[in-house]
Amino acid sequence: MRGTGIVKGLGVTLRTMGSKKVTMKYPDVPIQMPDRFRGVQYFEPDKCIVCNQCARVCPTDCITLTGKPNPDPEKKGKVIDTFDLNFEICILCDLCTEVCPTEAIVMTNNFELAAYSRDDLFKDRDWLYGNNRNIREDNNNIGAPQRGGAK
Amino acid sequence: MQRFWNDPVSWGHAGIYLLGAIAILAVVIVFVTYAIYFERKVIGWMQYRKGPNRTGPLGLLQTVADVAKLLIKEDTIPAKADKALFILAPALAFVPSFLVLAIIPYGLNLQFADLNVGFLYYVALSGITTIAIILGGWSSNNKYALLGGMRSAAQMISYEVPLVLSVVGIAMMTESLNLREIVIHQEGYFWHWNFLPQIIGFAVFVVAAISELNRTPFDLPEAESELVAGYHVEYSGFRFAFFMLTEYIYVYAIACLATILFLGGWNPPAPQLDFIPGLLWFALKFAFIVFFLFWIRATLPRLRVDQLMGMAWKVLLPLAILNIFLTALGIEWWGKGG
Amino acid sequence: MIRTEELLLNVGPQHPSTHGVFRIIVKLDGEIITEATPVMGYLHRGTEKLAENLNFTQIIPYTDRMDYVSAMTNNYVLVHAVEKMMGLEIPERAEFLRLIVMELQRVASHLVWWGTYLLDIGALSPFLYAFNDRERILQLFNELCGARLTYNYMRVGGVKWDAPEGWIGRVKEFVRDMREKLREYDDLASGNEIFLSRIKGVGAYDARTAIDYGLSGANLRSTGVKWDLRKNEPYSLYSRFEFDVPVGKNGDCYDRYLIRMEEMRQSLRILEQALEQFPEGGETMGKVPRVIRPPVGEIYVRIESPRGEIGCYIVSKGKAEPFRLKFRRPSFVNLQILPKLLVGESMTNLVTILGGIDIVLGEVDC
Repeated sequence: MRGTGIVKGLGVTLRTMGSKKVTMKYPDVPIQMPDRFRGVQYFEPDKCIVCNQCARVCPTDCITLTGKPNPDPEKKGKVIDTFDLNFEICILCDLCTEVCPTEAIVMTNNFELAAYSRDDLFKDRDWLYGNNRNIREDNNNIGAPQRGGAK
Repeated sequence: MQRFWNDPVSWGHAGIYLLGAIAILAVVIVFVTYAIYFERKVIGWMQYRKGPNRTGPLGLLQTVADVAKLLIKEDTIPAKADKALFILAPALAFVPSFLVLAIIPYGLNLQFADLNVGFLYYVALSGITTIAIILGGWSSNNKYALLGGMRSAAQMISYEVPLVLSVVGIAMMTESLNLREIVIHQEGYFWHWNFLPQIIGFAVFVVAAISELNRTPFDLPEAESELVAGYHVEYSGFRFAFFMLTEYIYVYAIACLATILFLGGWNPPAPQLDFIPGLLWFALKFAFIVFFLFWIRATLPRLRVDQLMGMAWKVLLPLAILNIFLTALGIEWWGKGG
Repeated sequence: MIRTEELLLNVGPQHPSTHGVFRIIVKLDGEIITEATPVMGYLHRGTEKLAENLNFTQIIPYTDRMDYVSAMTNNYVLVHAVEKMMGLEIPERAEFLRLIVMELQRVASHLVWWGTYLLDIGALSPFLYAFNDRERILQLFNELCGARLTYNYMRVGGVKWDAPEGWIGRVKEFVRDMREKLREYDDLASGNEIFLSRIKGVGAYDARTAIDYGLSGANLRSTGVKWDLRKNEPYSLYSRFEFDVPVGKNGDCYDRYLIRMEEMRQSLRILEQALEQFPEGGETMGKVPRVIRPPVGEIYVRIESPRGEIGCYIVSKGKAEPFRLKFRRPSFVNLQILPKLLVGESMTNLVTILGGIDIVLGEVDC
């Protein structure tokens, strides 16, 4: 019979009116992201061996880093001097964490990056070291080279 | 109010009328504020979300915040627009909507003006708003606004005919167009209310009323996704607030009229329940009609303009005429009051 | 003498219903369209040119952003092309994960289409219902690979992440709930008389026209041509599962609507079977050389994305970067029929027809 389609539709909306609402209370209550969520990176300078893999694999070339010879004369290899991440072009693809052999750079679950000026989006080594809340546990760096330090 | 009609005019009486008018304006503006709030809340609930709940406790100050925002906006008038008509249109739309509230009876003795042609007064004045909409669309000097204004005028004029004809059946049964008489005629149990004997008229009235109000599914003039707001696209700030205010005052007027004409006005569903004041019954039925309008808005898609016109002239008009015919037959066979 | 002029209207780049930044220059005679010229390119980002300097793993995040509503199928078409060129073997568990993810993505994409189509036609609520269900799918993807829209999930040789604890159970629950929801959506919209009168008979074309213009997906199947790449040229594990391919008759918007609703149900059917047969153990990455260097040559592969046939053409000169990478995007080709369909229609039907073709501007412009 004509008209029953509309009546059924009205029934659906009326039933929905009584059901549980899905509104989240953000920003009063922070959102819990699952562990694998790719948020802003966390960098540990002590673990970095300056292999340059992250800068080479980045699809948008947003990582620039420089190293310096190890200040301790007994140890070989380089230590990280500066490490800059340009968040204007970082696409949070997590390829850099995938290839890092020592898990020096890992993602966290933080996603709030809004700033009042574009200069604030150019994060340096100290800021990335201080971003240590909600660090991701499961890292799965399948692309890391197998020598020296891979877990 | 009525007892002052027959006395000579004096400053005291004029003062009482002025105070009464201000009181009604206050009631209606409070209604508009909370109708907008409840519309957003109810539509939100029907979509798995809460409506506004941050400004003020439970979001009750949301409309106040919105109106304050509209008031402090810049008053832009497009460069090539017809200035006088552009400024006149919102005011011309608002004034009849407020005038219409004079004839609505809320109780046996609660009415401003007891006109014997009550319903006809409403129809006559709501036509002036149609003119104002065309003015608004034309004076904006904008193709979208012009298209919207033209569509809106065609729609409102076409749907006034079934709106009026659907009430003729009631007028025949009550032998009067006086709104108070119509409610008094519906005293008794709820099956004496006019929506049962005049069920076709009720259906036609509801559909024509939603169309007169320019609400979904007939909101072609304001279709966001096609004409980007139609005839009021160039209006901003307080002028836009006037158009919105007009629409919601008409919602109030139509809901009151539907309650009075078809749902028994201030009569309780059974005479034993008349210890509850009539005003409360009126408010309950009124609230139900307004909720029904929100419910329809949340559910139905929009009609295309040719389908809209087709429906008015080819479906609603014959149904209204059929209703008049059947009412005449009914009165002939079962006597009046059937 | 009265002279009526033609009105030139810009359904501009900024418009609530053009599904992105897309412009149509429309010549109107009253309310009837006499000529329509689409103008695109507002979202062009040069993906194919950028790909000439990136190796294949680095191109995968770029493919996510082409058709952002159905990113998994974009990932798959690139990875499939490279694997076919190099002749790599994919482990079974990885193939199962890829198939489950692609079918979930098909449901999500059709939900977006359904919600936005009904919103354009005027109904406010289905949009919110569709996005509520899509939110559950995006939450599943979030748990699986860490992102909600741009997944970067597939790699040449397999997938990056294995399914976490309990994920398969949650997908099974979702499939069950979604079947209920689809019945509710039929009640809400598919039977609604106003909706039906808006889309029946609108934007019809026949099978010959469809094939001439190169349409694919639901646009082609609505004319009666039974062509679905999952059945006609099976890739991944589709040959193992039973499902039907819905076909229409009249080639109008109503048939396209019914086909897409039915496709959602068939996707749920494939998902049920795949979740039953999901292998217990297995690797997620096959044997892949350290540097991915396809041999000299060229290849073209095509798969069925929710919008139609998406193809990837690679010319390789033996290096780690492709010499030329070209994507045959379904929305770009499906859009070609728009000027022909719009002539003689009223302005209101423009939105109905454009919504029925189901385009995503990221894909039109690439």
